[in-house]
Amino acid sequence: MQVMFLLMTMFPEWILSHGAASLVVIPLILAVLTALNPNAKLAWATVLGVTVLCVFTSLGLLLQITAHGPIHYNMGGWKPPLGIGYYVDGLNAPILLLISLVAFLCTIYALPSVAAEVEPKKKGPFYAAFLISFAGLLGMVVTADAFNVFVFLEVSSISTYVLVGMGASRDRRALTSSFNYLIMGSIGATFFVIGIGFLYMQTGTLNMMDIARVLQDIGSQDRVVRLAFAFIVIGLGLKLAMFPLHMWLPGAYAYAPSFFTTFLAATATKAALYLLLRFTFTVFDPSWDFVATAIMILLAGLGILGMLAASLQAIFQNDLRRVLAYSSVAQVGYMLLGIGMATTLGLTAGYLHMLNHAIMKGALFIAAGAFWYRFGITQVTDMRGLGKTMPWTMAGFTVAGISLIGVPGTAGFVSKLTLVRAAAENGWWWAIGVIVVTSILAIIYIGRIIEQAYFQPVPELKGKPVARNEAPYTMLIPLWILALSTLVFGVNAEWTTSLAQSAAHVLDAGPNTNIPGAHEVMPVVTGGH
Amino acid sequence: MFDFLTSFSPAFILIAAGIISAFMPSSRVRKVLLIGAPALALVLINIIFYGQDTNAYLGGKMSFAGIELTTMRIDILSIIWGYIFCLAGVLNGIFGLHEKCKITDTSALIYTGAGIGAVFAGDLITLFMFWELLALSSVFIVWRGGPKSYPAGMRYLAMHILSGVLLLAGLIIYGRATGSYTFNNIGIDAPGGKLMLLAFGIKAGFPLLHNWIQDAYPRSSVTGTVILSVFTTKLAIYALARGFAGTEILIYIGAIMTVFPVFFAVLENDLRKVLSYSLNNQLGFMVCGVGIGSQLALNGVAAHVVVDILFKGLLFMSMGAVLHRVGTAKASELGGLFRSMPYTAFFCLIGAAAISAVPFFGGFVSKSMIIAAVFEEHHWVVFLMLLFASAGVLEHSGIKVPYFAFFAHDSGKRVKEAPWNMLAAMGIAAFLCIYLAMPGPFGGLRHLYGLLPNEVAGEAAFHPYTGDHMVFQMQLIMAAMFAFTLLKRFGLYPPERRAQILDFDWVYRRLGLSLLQWGHAMWTRLGAVIIYAMGRIFGDISKRLYQVFSPAGALSQDAPSGISAVLIAGLLTAALFVVYFL
Amino acid sequence: MAKLDKPKLSAKEIKERAEAHPMAVPFLWLGKANVQRNFIFVPLFGMILFSILGYVYPLHHPAPWDVFGFSYAVIGFVSYSFVVLAAWPLFKLLSRPENYYGEDGDEGEQ
Repeated sequence: MQVMFLLMTMFPEWILSHGAASLVVIPLILAVLTALNPNAKLAWATVLGVTVLCVFTSLGLLLQITAHGPIHYNMGGWKPPLGIGYYVDGLNAPILLLISLVAFLCTIYALPSVAAEVEPKKKGPFYAAFLISFAGLLGMVVTADAFNVFVFLEVSSISTYVLVGMGASRDRRALTSSFNYLIMGSIGATFFVIGIGFLYMQTGTLNMMDIARVLQDIGSQDRVVRLAFAFIVIGLGLKLAMFPLHMWLPGAYAYAPSFFTTFLAATATKAALYLLLRFTFTVFDPSWDFVATAIMILLAGLGILGMLAASLQAIFQNDLRRVLAYSSVAQVGYMLLGIGMATTLGLTAGYLHMLNHAIMKGALFIAAGAFWYRFGITQVTDMRGLGKTMPWTMAGFTVAGISLIGVPGTAGFVSKLTLVRAAAENGWWWAIGVIVVTSILAIIYIGRIIEQAYFQPVPELKGKPVARNEAPYTMLIPLWILALSTLVFGVNAEWTTSLAQSAAHVLDAGPNTNIPGAHEVMPVVTGGH
Repeated sequence: MFDFLTSFSPAFILIAAGIISAFMPSSRVRKVLLIGAPALALVLINIIFYGQDTNAYLGGKMSFAGIELTTMRIDILSIIWGYIFCLAGVLNGIFGLHEKCKITDTSALIYTGAGIGAVFAGDLITLFMFWELLALSSVFIVWRGGPKSYPAGMRYLAMHILSGVLLLAGLIIYGRATGSYTFNNIGIDAPGGKLMLLAFGIKAGFPLLHNWIQDAYPRSSVTGTVILSVFTTKLAIYALARGFAGTEILIYIGAIMTVFPVFFAVLENDLRKVLSYSLNNQLGFMVCGVGIGSQLALNGVAAHVVVDILFKGLLFMSMGAVLHRVGTAKASELGGLFRSMPYTAFFCLIGAAAISAVPFFGGFVSKSMIIAAVFEEHHWVVFLMLLFASAGVLEHSGIKVPYFAFFAHDSGKRVKEAPWNMLAAMGIAAFLCIYLAMPGPFGGLRHLYGLLPNEVAGEAAFHPYTGDHMVFQMQLIMAAMFAFTLLKRFGLYPPERRAQILDFDWVYRRLGLSLLQWGHAMWTRLGAVIIYAMGRIFGDISKRLYQVFSPAGALSQDAPSGISAVLIAGLLTAALFVVYFL
Repeated sequence: MAKLDKPKLSAKEIKERAEAHPMAVPFLWLGKANVQRNFIFVPLFGMILFSILGYVYPLHHPAPWDVFGFSYAVIGFVSYSFVVLAAWPLFKLLSRPENYYGEDGDEGEQ
């Protein structure tokens, strides 16, 4: 705690008072400037500056909410429910920090990677689209206004479609993948907005806390509310790649530019998962019968199915990124399983796995991008001898890979153990069985890659084995920061666990109806004039 | 000065030495670590245990995820394993002195450390951590055997990870039901007990779970096999003795384990594989002793672990030396090697005598303790099975290994004697095999007795060196040898032939693989059929969605957006059903 | 002695001695055909000797079947012969070509 207060004094006042808004506004404004900027290096530097700023801001917000409780911020000084409110609490502050941090690390990595994969003329717009996508994700997470969520969802999605499509200069299949993602993403967003529309019809408000308050009065028997719930869950389920709504994901991950794949894999599904948590637990009431049933049957049930099916699919993939993408779908299943238990420990486990998975997958995709960057490798079978030709990159990949399997001493083990404990507490022994089986499947699909890299001979070029060609430092540094953090959080999981626990407490408390003004005791930070 | 070093489990010293050696370019420094670290651990165990006056020293406490862990419990049962593991670590270090291989050095140190750490684990979580580390560090040693050992290593890893997750599942059930993760007697009827027994059983090589031993061990490198043969299986015996002493089913499992490898050992041609079966057979004696669970039986198990590590290590070392010099360990290719490798042959004969339980050699004392314990309980069938297996031991390890390698007909191979360091390691092991079985004031038997977990003085003491015991043991040995010479003379002894002998692993290496391949093919076809059927069923809808959403050719195998749109609709229906009707 | 011994050595024996390890030279007789053939008498006499001794030192704790003083010799002989003779049918049943699993034999070399 002492360290935290010391850290807090480092942050300027405006971060603490206007941080929530600046997280969205700064990237958006600078996106416009970046789009007009002809110099790619300068555009990159802008993005780096923005992400550093956002890391600081979100860290400041996180420290502030741990010290002083949730922050309400009113856009332009208009109080909700009339104005748009931003809201930061223990549930979304870690995700804001996660998104900003991953964006920052990805940006370091972007310098060589984008230079190799994106046409020179398009670099400025590329970085601009990235900033918009980044702002959209942060906006989705930070806003407390349901329609605003939809707007930011679309902002981030549309820029994502563009960015995935830009992978076309590396692989033409990026175009169909992007189109596919566009269709499915749009269906998901439409479902979501239909759900919001139904909610608005019944409650007459768009502020989430206000919706929650009115919903408590309407009660659980209202048929339109139920309809709205179904649409919102399915819409968000598509965005977070809940099995079997994941089909957009493998293509998008496999053919997007490496840099963007990394960012997408580590953050996009997490933001959507956050929204699912926010809506099911704090807007709707998890103690209502239909919500409780849906959480258990839909989330946990589909989570289990996804864990099994996607892990199996990952084994049969040849493309490295597709292996990782299907593994992501399976890992989303773990998170949904934890959430589906709806107990404190289960929610902690799900949330913790979300944080840890972002770190591991970030590292794995950075390494995958580095393999392409040096040797043009996309297939698992082409990875022969990488342990010798790119030892440091492959070592980073291996560390993150064993964490993904859940070997003790790594972050993946901590979250899987928590999940197993939660399942045991619930008496869901079959779920433990599935966790064990899917962990074994993970050993197979990760082990297959590691076996290729370390135990197959180095391929030969003109009769000589290929020379060692390590990835540049701008790739190795972010890779190793992530790989080492999986080890650090595997040995000392106190910080991550406490973040997950505070998030679980927010969810445990049920519907959040505290709009500022209703209770004067809440610390209210009002922006604007 | 030792205060700091004795404040945590000696396992961490070995693991730290392993990590240092991973980054140590100098082979000499690595070798110093490889021999020095286990030697230091040996000293530390002694200082820690005898520096205090309780029977069970608990230390190295730490907290992990809210559970209090005891990473160091040195008591009268665990210390004997600790000693012999450290000693084996030193011997392995000496045996591998000539080899310049960073991977072997590093994983040998970590593997040894994990073995010691697991033996000293005071709670099940710590046990699980080291249990997994043991599997992970040792698989690299398996893989040192070259490209042929990769698939075996993968199977080895899969078995051990499976054992680890079973242990984890068992300990969580057990911990939740009893509220304690302390590793003491568990019992088969405790919640999670069966899962943990199965986990230990995999590592101990229970029948049908045993194949990883014969699969992986013979394929490792010369030094690798020697290192591997020590820790994993003996740790499992410790875990069984600690958690399941007196569990009746173990008596029968152990008895079967002593008998069935005998038949396979006769068939096998690769002498290191023969020794792997023999390892399994010796483990059977120990498992049987754990199942009896009396004081005498547990003493016998502890003593047999010590002696078995020495003589089995010695036999693996001698076959390793042969492989190192000749390039093969197949009986059909060897013979007459005593001419070129007399010292190795001599040490091998000592090992063979020790495993065959010739009086005044190691196995005579320890094995007869277990057999006597079975006798005391009047398990006649089991007793007879153990006697049968004792004759079988003579066949595969006592006669077959030394005879076909060093005697038999001359293969004409003339090689150099093994390097000095191998001879030194074999010499020390051979000396201990004899010394520890020697009675009297100058013999080492009193030291061995002094280490045993249960009191051995007084009336109940076990005296191996009685006239009748020695005479009848010699009858068994001589009769078996006579049978060998007789069968050999009349050509009834099957010739050594190169072949793959099927064992239970056929079920997963052949049958399972075929089923999996078949399943994959069927799965692919089924997927195609389902998509086709869905296309028919949702004909209109999907066709329209398809036409709307997919440009020509866009629906390649990556882009099944039509199907997914249908799925979304289906899932929404399901969600609505859940929300409205459940 | 040396003078007397040398002429007896055949050319083959001289070659064998030269090739062998110095420590093995005094034991080369172990490789001779007649030694190996007549080795059968060592365990035979051993077995007979210890069977007789079995009556001198009867078992303190005999099992129900230990009615003769040479019961362990019977058990040893029968068990051993059974194991070895069982190998014939078992080999027919269980042996496959060395590359059966497609992993190039089972032996790990350096």
